Amino acid sequence: MSTIIEARGLTKKFGSFTAVDDVDFTVEENRIYGLLGRNGAGKTTIMQLLTGQDFASSGSVTVYGQSPVENSRVLSNVSFIKESQKYPDSIRAKHVFAAAPNFYGNWNAELAQQLIGEFRIPLNRDIKKLSRGQVSAVGVVVGLASRAPITFFDEPYLGLDAVARQLFYDRLLEDYALFPRTVILSTHLIDEVSDLLEHVILIDEGRILLDTPAEELRGSASTVVGKRMDVAAFVSGREIIHSDGIGGLSSVTITGQLSPAERATAAHAGLELAPVSLQQLIVRLSSHGNSEGTEL
Amino acid sequence: MTAVPALSAPPAFSRVWNVVRLHMINRQTYLYIPWLIFAGALVVSLAIPLLLTYNGVPRSEISDGAINSWAVISPMWYLCVVAVLAIAQSFPFALGFGVTRRDFYLGTSLLFVLSSVGNSIVLATLGVIETATGGWGLGARMFTSMFFDQPTWLGNFFLFTVFQLGVYFIGAAIATVYMRWRMWGMLAFWLGSVVVIVAILSAITLTESWPAVGETLTNLGVLGIFAWALVPVALAALAGFFVLRRATPKN
Repeated sequence: MSTIIEARGLTKKFGSFTAVDDVDFTVEENRIYGLLGRNGAGKTTIMQLLTGQDFASSGSVTVYGQSPVENSRVLSNVSFIKESQKYPDSIRAKHVFAAAPNFYGNWNAELAQQLIGEFRIPLNRDIKKLSRGQVSAVGVVVGLASRAPITFFDEPYLGLDAVARQLFYDRLLEDYALFPRTVILSTHLIDEVSDLLEHVILIDEGRILLDTPAEELRGSASTVVGKRMDVAAFVSGREIIHSDGIGGLSSVTITGQLSPAERATAAHAGLELAPVSLQQLIVRLSSHGNSEGTEL
Repeated sequence: MTAVPALSAPPAFSRVWNVVRLHMINRQTYLYIPWLIFAGALVVSLAIPLLLTYNGVPRSEISDGAINSWAVISPMWYLCVVAVLAIAQSFPFALGFGVTRRDFYLGTSLLFVLSSVGNSIVLATLGVIETATGGWGLGARMFTSMFFDQPTWLGNFFLFTVFQLGVYFIGAAIATVYMRWRMWGMLAFWLGSVVVIVAILSAITLTESWPAVGETLTNLGVLGIFAWALVPVALAALAGFFVLRRATPKN
């Protein structure tokens, strides 16, 4: 594994608002990253900094060891598909697909053709007359068919129906298996992509809360449900990231793996243990605040 | 360890040419629509002499009147909008394809030059035909109206080219100010422009230099004025480049 993206002390300020706050992380080659976080957490800004579309206030970004800003050697190896991509008014979908091969050395026309059919993109209608989902599909097709060594998808699914979203995940995985590349996907629909992700970077208010292989996250927290007293006894001394209760019952989410012995103890006390999905975990961590989340 | 693979990018000219092609993926913007406007203007420019001839107006009178026709610059307003959109809409589009600001601006400028020169070759040639056919047999004037009535093909070609370059590059430069500084940039730009223009006009008035200004312009002649106009056009082109280098394609 080799590092292809490195951010050091990366900061982006818009006036008095700090969108990205002194962030450090690295991205390894040929893995699928999830860049997760709430609206306004700084996901899009980070992607724009990594692709030279925006300028850092301080700190540095290197892609393949070089600054991406105004660097065509880096940028011709990057495909950045963003939800907010603007298209000229006079453009139709067919024009986008006609232009794309000029910019991506690995463009695969056959794959593009197949995806255009599967996503049912109307090629001959002005882009501004397409539905939100169809515009998203245009981006998804460009992102997949470009087969760029580094591909960014910034909430590419906006307006896509469930069938089209599943199609996107399936085709992404298939093509990734055939042509490994680095994919960085920002999304809100964490449960839908949780099987796809190999690494998770969680951002909140411009800071990194979590930067962990997805495998470690799965099963890294459990929810204990049972009588209030029993639950309290079981979770004492553990890190609690969420608790809830109704009447004499309570439900508490704790971090850390549970050993078989601990599971037996819980079962003996009549407690129910439920695994926490990636999405639930991230919801808990995000609403839990910054300082404690990083301990995970 | 940071991996530094042998990164390759297409050669510089092909990157710039790709931007020209990106602007031209829909031919109508730079080719069909401007020439449709020219064609429409020509229809009007021919219809009026026809009507006047029908009413018994002599051909020389028709020709003298038609020199004030603005028909030939009718597509220029459209091309100014095209230049603004080339920055406002195609810049975010091109950056989405991983184009650098530098390559985008160079490609856009190359397109502006090619389009201006190409259109002007056709316009100046139509002017020669217009003169040779006695105004399409009607005493009509479209391509030799206004100041585009130079005795040589080259003279008219030069005027048309400078005019279009001005429309393109000044329109584009204003759009780069918007891309870089948005609303406040526009406000500052227009206010600043008004202040500068008023200052120049006041300075000329206060120093009672209007006769001198008039004399200078007369001495320069149309060709001389247009040659000098290349200076602000080049400055606009240069300014657009530096303003856009730090612009971001945000919403």
